[in-house]
Amino acid sequence: MAGYNNNAVHKKVESAHPKAESHHHDEEHFREKHLMLDPLPRGQMNDMVMESMTTTSWKFWAVFGLLSVIVAVCLFYVWGYMISEGLGVTGKNRPSYWGLFLVNTVFWIGISHAGTFISAILRVFKAEFRRPFTRAAELMTTFGLVQAGFSVFMHLGRVWLFYWLLPYPNQRMLWPNLHSPLSWDLLAITTYLLSSTMYLFLPLIPDLAMARDKSTGWRKTFYKTLALGFRGTEGEWTHLRNAMNIFAFAIIPVMFSVHTIVSWDFAAATRPGWNSTIFGPYFVVGALHSGMGAVVMVLAVVRGTMKNMKYFIRPEHFDAIGKLMLIISMAWAYFFFNDYMVQWYGGDKWTKQLLHFHEAGPMGWMWFAMLIANIAIPWAVLWNPKWRSTPWIVFVVGLIINFGMYLERYIIVPVSLSINRMPFTWRLYYPRVEVLLGIGTLAFFIWLYMAASRLIPLIPVWEVEEGQMAHELKKFGRETVVSVSELE
Amino acid sequence: MADNISRRERSGQVSLLAVFPDLEPAADAIDHLRTLGISDDQMNVISGIPVTEAMLGRPNQWTNVPRLAGGGAVLGFLGAVFLMYGVPYLYPYPIQVSTQAVIPGPPTVVVLFEITMLGMLLSTFLGVFLDSYFPNYRPMEYVKEVSDGKIAVFFICPEESREKFTKAMTALGAEKVEVAEVEHL
Repeated sequence: MAGYNNNAVHKKVESAHPKAESHHHDEEHFREKHLMLDPLPRGQMNDMVMESMTTTSWKFWAVFGLLSVIVAVCLFYVWGYMISEGLGVTGKNRPSYWGLFLVNTVFWIGISHAGTFISAILRVFKAEFRRPFTRAAELMTTFGLVQAGFSVFMHLGRVWLFYWLLPYPNQRMLWPNLHSPLSWDLLAITTYLLSSTMYLFLPLIPDLAMARDKSTGWRKTFYKTLALGFRGTEGEWTHLRNAMNIFAFAIIPVMFSVHTIVSWDFAAATRPGWNSTIFGPYFVVGALHSGMGAVVMVLAVVRGTMKNMKYFIRPEHFDAIGKLMLIISMAWAYFFFNDYMVQWYGGDKWTKQLLHFHEAGPMGWMWFAMLIANIAIPWAVLWNPKWRSTPWIVFVVGLIINFGMYLERYIIVPVSLSINRMPFTWRLYYPRVEVLLGIGTLAFFIWLYMAASRLIPLIPVWEVEEGQMAHELKKFGRETVVSVSELE
Repeated sequence: MADNISRRERSGQVSLLAVFPDLEPAADAIDHLRTLGISDDQMNVISGIPVTEAMLGRPNQWTNVPRLAGGGAVLGFLGAVFLMYGVPYLYPYPIQVSTQAVIPGPPTVVVLFEITMLGMLLSTFLGVFLDSYFPNYRPMEYVKEVSDGKIAVFFICPEESREKFTKAMTALGAEKVEVAEVEHL
């Protein structure tokens, strides 16, 4: 198949008002713009999704191979080296005992937030534009959390003793301190990882069944196993729909709790710059800021590199996400200023010293770059509907936001730790093997995503078809408008 | 495959499959099957999208998923209560953190929330497996056209009326009517 045929079956739309000439032009315009008004037969959409998974160019394998090498060297070899040599090979030293590993942890948990935000919140509010890319976002959640888990384990140093964190009876009479935010982290991240993986899998079952029916050989066995014998009976759909509704509502507070608890790792310490009551929502909004930036980057790459994806992922989706990014950028600016203002106004000597160190210290460029990347550039670009509908422009903005949010976490963790109430310990943090390990987690994230794009239908075809069934054009007077029926 | 069919044939009944291109003719066919004496529990509909019972005029499907979710939440809550209120007293030296009580209020809320939610979401997920009998790799009545958007109506009718039902379904828009076959999915 060369690609999707834009002039294929449009039965529903054409049957609405076939006579009016001007209306016909409106219809053409709407079809071109909105996926939900541009239906194709289900079989054709299935074939397009299957083809996108099975068509792989040499460029894909070249990038995949390169990433495999980076993962093997930067992640596993360097991690093994660090385990054998000890944490002394990192840049962590007095007074910055929390370095890049925790920056990476916060960063990856932030990335993971967008999947749930897009899938669950937009599902609850019945935002129809979400339909084609919920899965692409949910995959980011699961793979982002894997990297966050790796980063925490790296920070542990003696990673083989990770089970000491678990609340299990033991003869040493040691017990995890459940008063500590670090123990809550374990609970929250585990809950979020498990629930987001289950939430990814449930709506995937019907698409796996479709893939089972469309494939042969090892793929058939793979999809058959994962589809669990799904047929699409009334009962199966009812159970699935109920479960997805419960998940959509319940996973939202879990998502909020995860990054709030991560923020308490800092805020619960009585330390200037950290001890802030607004850190919880500030972190959550920051997570959404970087997560939405990452979603838009992934969508731009998927659209640009995978076959037939231009039919499913259109400028309207970048426009909708671009609006969300703009609102979230404003919310982030509000929380940042709120946090900054109260600390600045308090007049505490050490707090003022730290704020001055952030802005005018040796890492002051990071503070200004953070504000430019997180506020100035998104506001300057995303207000314009044409710009925010252009995939490569939104991709660049997403990249810049993620750069800015990484700097924000870097400022909060090692930069803030560099000075304290004991000036004789002041010292800047310079990461060493952590840099390679950070590159390794990034490469592993992309590697996992690339592998998944060849194995898992990235487009939830049944959700797209359901949405297309619900949409139609209606004419009010001389104006043609989009009308959506509530099918559930 | 043949075993399943022959078992029904021996009992004088046959399972037929009618494949419809859209919802409307499928709903009409279900109504018509009722007038021909086929009860709702002798019919089954399979589809590639979540067609609600109301769309096809079918009785509401029973699901235990919300109840299982509630049960899981209760179990998770009880587990968290044990962890926070019971376990500290199992040890000779309960952990004392700063001026906090051995069982402090706010941290307990955090643990209760997380484990309750974990219990609820795990049991919701398992509920789908239990209610749908997943995983199920036994041969089942199925037709692959469902994946391509068709609606399949399976129903059991007397063997001698097979021709009559086939004609009725075809007249209502069925693209094909045939004896339902079981297959390994």
